[in-house]
Amino acid sequence: MLNERRLEAVRLRLDGHTVAEVARQTGLSAPTVSAAWKAFRQGGWEAVPVRRRGRKVGQAERLGEVAQGTLTALLASHPETTDPAWSSSALADALASEGHRVSPRAIEHWLEAQGLKPAPLPLDGLARRRSTAGRWYRQQVQPVLEQTHKAGGGSWEGGVRVAVPAKSAVGAPRRYQLYLHGKRGALYTRCLASPPRADDYLALFDRLAAEAPVALLFRGALFQASPEIQAWLADHPEFHLINVPPNLSLGSDPKGR
Amino acid sequence: MTTLTHLQRLEAESIQIMREVVSETENPVMLYSVGKDSAVMLHLARKAFAPSPPPFPLLHVDTRWKFRAMYEFRDRMAEEIGMDLIVHINPEGVEKDINPFTHGSAIHTDVMKTEGLKQALDKYDFDAAFGGARRDEEKSRAKERIFSFRTSQHRWDPKNQRPELWKLFNTRKHKGESIRVFPLSNWTELDIWQYIYLQDIPIVPLYYAAERPVVERDGALIMVDDERMPLEPGEVPMMRKVRFRTLGCYPLTGAIESEADTLPAIIQEMLLTNTSERQGRVIDHDSAASMEKKKQEGYF
Repeated sequence: MLNERRLEAVRLRLDGHTVAEVARQTGLSAPTVSAAWKAFRQGGWEAVPVRRRGRKVGQAERLGEVAQGTLTALLASHPETTDPAWSSSALADALASEGHRVSPRAIEHWLEAQGLKPAPLPLDGLARRRSTAGRWYRQQVQPVLEQTHKAGGGSWEGGVRVAVPAKSAVGAPRRYQLYLHGKRGALYTRCLASPPRADDYLALFDRLAAEAPVALLFRGALFQASPEIQAWLADHPEFHLINVPPNLSLGSDPKGR
Repeated sequence: MTTLTHLQRLEAESIQIMREVVSETENPVMLYSVGKDSAVMLHLARKAFAPSPPPFPLLHVDTRWKFRAMYEFRDRMAEEIGMDLIVHINPEGVEKDINPFTHGSAIHTDVMKTEGLKQALDKYDFDAAFGGARRDEEKSRAKERIFSFRTSQHRWDPKNQRPELWKLFNTRKHKGESIRVFPLSNWTELDIWQYIYLQDIPIVPLYYAAERPVVERDGALIMVDDERMPLEPGEVPMMRKVRFRTLGCYPLTGAIESEADTLPAIIQEMLLTNTSERQGRVIDHDSAASMEKKKQEGYF
């Protein structure tokens, strides 16, 4: 592989071949050949192989059981900040205040292992697509987003789902996850032990509505069936809730469904 | 010598049973519940008497609480195949507005299904009724014969059944007796799915996985199919990718979480499952041996 070819490149250079010839024979790029040759001249044969990037396997920051229990309890509650739900940095701060020093990055890894890191909706390029999803986006979403942005408001996307733990999280319970993606796909989430009720959704909406006008693209709930949520929406005309239709294929579909 | 596959053997057996009934009884009917077993049974009946349509009508004992997709499918199928479809709803149940929410699953099933069926059989004087029950569904169905004799009050006596050795059927009825006939008795759920796939039999779309609004009730996922479904205060239905292994009244039929949105995927799922499809039916959990009790009272 790469290191063997780097060693071969140095041997060829020692035999008097030019960088271009060595690059051609080993399949490496000229800068890589030069870098290997430079490393050899500075540190001998031991310096030629490149090391793996990042931490070694098993050296990642691990969350203890107590910290994991605290995280689970925190995720079921509301954050003390004005954020609509928990972000990884807010979780790290809350854990730190309880004596657990964990980086936001480690929390994101933990969320991923627990199956609690949903991907943002694939909306890029949807407006140009000739499909049901494309038409829905152009007709139902784009005008609302434009109107909200013109009025100085922001937009969010999110949903509710049953989080299935990743295989690595053996024994982790199923959780009902409320999630939002903000700017640049930042994740905000809450996780409950039972299906969210109208109060849970409304707590989320209230926090978002504090910075109205706001548009929220949401999937996974039938809000039309909830009188509490319909009443709240009627009282908050600057909160634009757009439901993602069920079974709408948002991914790239060559058949254009 | 050609060897029949297991599905061809099952098909031949079912067709033989249907022809036997038509030759031995005076006024047969096919119970049509709009589910996958009914779809297969109807397909077999059309094969058994082709090119003529089957010489009996279809009877749907309606409870008014089936899934909307089932009603649409039933009406479309009746129009396409050109058979007579009798829809019977227990008028007493309608008058008293019997429903699964107010009256509970046991009363609803007894009044709208069992009594409704008995009324329809008496009203049209049917002496034999095909049903799509299978032995692998439930233990009382496992011990019921293919030709199941009922008294004039439509009662079933599980301790007094005729032997059916070597697939020889004794079709002689006593006065006033009627027969419930189960041509799919020896089929399994997997056989049904394989046959549907091979024969390209149309089925209700609810069998395929899709995002549907559901609420959780006692561990079962109940689909919110229309506005009649009462939600608890604060309850918000979630859209989950589910499908149904069995179809009945929507408030009493649990969905399963599944990604199987094609027939091959459903068959693959069936190969891995180790539970009966009837576990999704609330009416089967009413009490111990509830199905046997219902069958003794006349349920099919």
